[in-house]
Amino acid sequence: MHQDNGSKSAGVSRRQFLQGASGAAAGSVLVTLPQLAGAQEGEAAPAVRSGLTRYAASGGNITLTVNDRPAQITVTPDTTLLEAVRESLNLTGAKEVCGRGACGACTMLVDSRSVCSCMMLAIDAVGKRITTVEGLVKDGQLDPVQQAFVDHDACQCGYCIPGFVVRSRALLDETPSPNREAIKNGLCGNICRCAAYIRIFDAVEAAAKGGQA
Amino acid sequence: MSYRDDNRVALENNAPRIDIVEKVNGAAKYTTDYYLPKMLWAAYIPSDFGDARVRSSNISAAREVKGVLEVELEKDAGRYHGDRIGHVCAESRKALEEALTVLDIKFEARWPRTRLEDERVPLAEMEKAENDAAAQKALDESEVVVEAEYQTQVQTHCALEPHGAIVDFRGESAVAYGSTQSCGSFRDDLARELGLRPDQVEFHCEYVGGGFGAKFGADNEGRLAAQMSKKFGRPCRVIRTRKEEHLDTGNRPGSIQHMRIGLMRDGKMRGGKITTWGSIGPTGIGQRSAGGGGGGGVRNPSRYNFGTVAVVHQDVGLNAGFPRAFRAPGHPQAMFAIELMMDHMAAQIGTDPLEFRLLNETSDVRRAMLKVGAEKIGWANRKSLNDGKSVIKRGIGIGAGDWGNRGGGGSIRINVYRNGTVEVASGAQDMGQGYRTLIGDIVRTHFGLPREQLVVKVGRADYPPGPASGGSVTSRGMAPRAFVAAQMAVDALRGLVAKEWQLEDARGITLEDGVFKREDKTMEWAKACRLMTNDHLSFATDQDGGLMKPPTGSEAVQFADVSVDTETGIIKVNKVIALQNVGLPVNRNTIENQITGGVIQGISFALYEERILNRQTGAMVNPVMDQYKIAGPVDVPEIIPIIWREDREVSVNSLGEPPTVPTAGAIATAVASAIGAQVRSMPLTPDKVLAALAAKAS
Repeated sequence: MHQDNGSKSAGVSRRQFLQGASGAAAGSVLVTLPQLAGAQEGEAAPAVRSGLTRYAASGGNITLTVNDRPAQITVTPDTTLLEAVRESLNLTGAKEVCGRGACGACTMLVDSRSVCSCMMLAIDAVGKRITTVEGLVKDGQLDPVQQAFVDHDACQCGYCIPGFVVRSRALLDETPSPNREAIKNGLCGNICRCAAYIRIFDAVEAAAKGGQA
Repeated sequence: MSYRDDNRVALENNAPRIDIVEKVNGAAKYTTDYYLPKMLWAAYIPSDFGDARVRSSNISAAREVKGVLEVELEKDAGRYHGDRIGHVCAESRKALEEALTVLDIKFEARWPRTRLEDERVPLAEMEKAENDAAAQKALDESEVVVEAEYQTQVQTHCALEPHGAIVDFRGESAVAYGSTQSCGSFRDDLARELGLRPDQVEFHCEYVGGGFGAKFGADNEGRLAAQMSKKFGRPCRVIRTRKEEHLDTGNRPGSIQHMRIGLMRDGKMRGGKITTWGSIGPTGIGQRSAGGGGGGGVRNPSRYNFGTVAVVHQDVGLNAGFPRAFRAPGHPQAMFAIELMMDHMAAQIGTDPLEFRLLNETSDVRRAMLKVGAEKIGWANRKSLNDGKSVIKRGIGIGAGDWGNRGGGGSIRINVYRNGTVEVASGAQDMGQGYRTLIGDIVRTHFGLPREQLVVKVGRADYPPGPASGGSVTSRGMAPRAFVAAQMAVDALRGLVAKEWQLEDARGITLEDGVFKREDKTMEWAKACRLMTNDHLSFATDQDGGLMKPPTGSEAVQFADVSVDTETGIIKVNKVIALQNVGLPVNRNTIENQITGGVIQGISFALYEERILNRQTGAMVNPVMDQYKIAGPVDVPEIIPIIWREDREVSVNSLGEPPTVPTAGAIATAVASAIGAQVRSMPLTPDKVLAALAAKAS
């Protein structure tokens, strides 16, 4: 319900980007990526039009700030944030399940808002603060939401759990004391096929009551 | 060898599962999480339609894509959407995706077989069962004959971790990762494909992102990964896409169930005829998975005493993905029809549906469960749930189930280290059911040690072999072995303690709460371990020590309370009471989690999930998670799991199957009770509810 698929806040959606790359007007936010801002053949570089920078299809390096650490990653313009983080940074907590923002397994925090990272381009995440489930652990201490998941045995196979944990963190940041209904609604973008939902609700409820917002 | 039952863990054990921290901090590595250096990416080329011939393709363009190593079209036709007609292998995800795009296969689609109701042999033309005459006699002698037909849809497993394999062939050996319910058979399949001995393949499956019956053996993904790795001498990754998961990795077959049952006015069923049809793949036979199941069969009749029944079944081939075992194969769909039929018959003779069930129930355990559940849900008051004015109607329904537990064979190894650490190892896999936790908790409580002293290793083929996790056999089979191995370790340590205390033998030495005792002498676990002369002692057994005792029924009864909006047709499940016989309970968390999960999957099956085929092309319309609807957080009702009469004198029962068997029947009968009309086709979508209401009104 509150989940942002990344397309609006990031400025350029994957579809808009592809339209932009093929010459249509698109986007309104300037993303400055000098390393990537190469020219297509026969054009002068860098090509910036209507605020959109075009990137070479062959790819290049960008810097992403993931879990407070800057990392240089080689991407192509259509690399998703999820692919970049999983395949280049060995941060594999976020999972690719549906690939279209329908299950929440890939949820990350982008500037503290929960985003389906399968729906956000890596180039749109430049300059933003990205937090994965691994990054919620601070100095070896689990985030209170993670601890509540542990205490309530809130999982079965666990494949969806990183997404649920990150979304729950964002939910409690948005709504510090949600009731049961608000928790269900707040998590409605996430799917658990084993259906450990009841334990998940219990965990989020407990984390909220612990005043850990 | 003696077992102190008091040491056998039971309901007071409410600790979270042993591997929960790795699952909440992202450290748990599933098959899909391995990205190996120089790894290749490979995938199958799918057929786009139900029955299609390849007309043209741009294979040369696909081969020219930079980073593409191989593009092969092996078949010129596909028999179902997602049928594998070739493969692509490339150096990167991007190259793979681009090759699949530019390949641009054009198909000529032929008229596909898509609908069970159209393709089945009609009822009148079905062959007769051997006991048809006896069944006819029972019908003739009955005072009332009731007839109805029920239909259930195809459900796809949609485990969140797709089927996948990563194989790194290294000439004389290989390292491989696979998402599986059977480490042993996955490894053996890979070894055969690679031309290696099984012991030369190091196979990992420490974490599995869901296994509901469709993940056995190395399968198509393992085969392709092995072939490409061997051919190119580099690791190769084959992870099926979400679309492929819906199309080509199995499903719960659809069914039509025709029931004609005769009964007496006192409520006793005399017998009748049950004809069922099940949807299978295009080849005319069910493509079976190694774990069993895979046909289109339906377990109808079952649970109730129907008298003399003649049963006929036809597997009906469709141009669509093939069935595989799916959590209690054949059972939930049968109980949907059976429970509705039970209500229908009870109504025909004017009997209360609960009384009718109690009269015809085959299990004493379930009969007792029915009474307890009825009280918990408020059965007696169900007629006062509706005031007659509101458009929202409430109803209560009943579902029954069970599972004949077999125990899977295998071995458990316990290493006790000189520093006091205990390591339990098993090559069986934990798909989320809590197997790691089960054997860990059994061993540590047998020793009386805290979890911190325990390491549990599962999910590798070079660990002591475990069973394939299909048919609810893992916990039931392996729990006794864990007890036996634990006792072997205790006896060995008692021997060391006896020697230290200069006793002739270990008689009289006990181990309680991690302390060895005899009369006034005591010795802590850690100190006893230091008596070892070597680094560790190792104990392994494949013996169940006679602990795999009956009863084995895993009986289940569920009561569902639903609300139906008679203007929109939308069903909301309010509450489910789930009574479940679990045998010897080991860990309350994992048990309750699995019961409630089974119930929610049952709700999802009853109300939402459906493979929809385009009747013109045979293509699946909704092979994506936003259109193939699975129960999400807002669909979850209050669920009260009741662990039926904890009993320490019996064995552990596995819970994969049983809790999901009764749910669809309970929901369907609750809906019928609410609106006064049966919806006889799953899923119970709003349009069908409104149609049932309209039919009732006319």
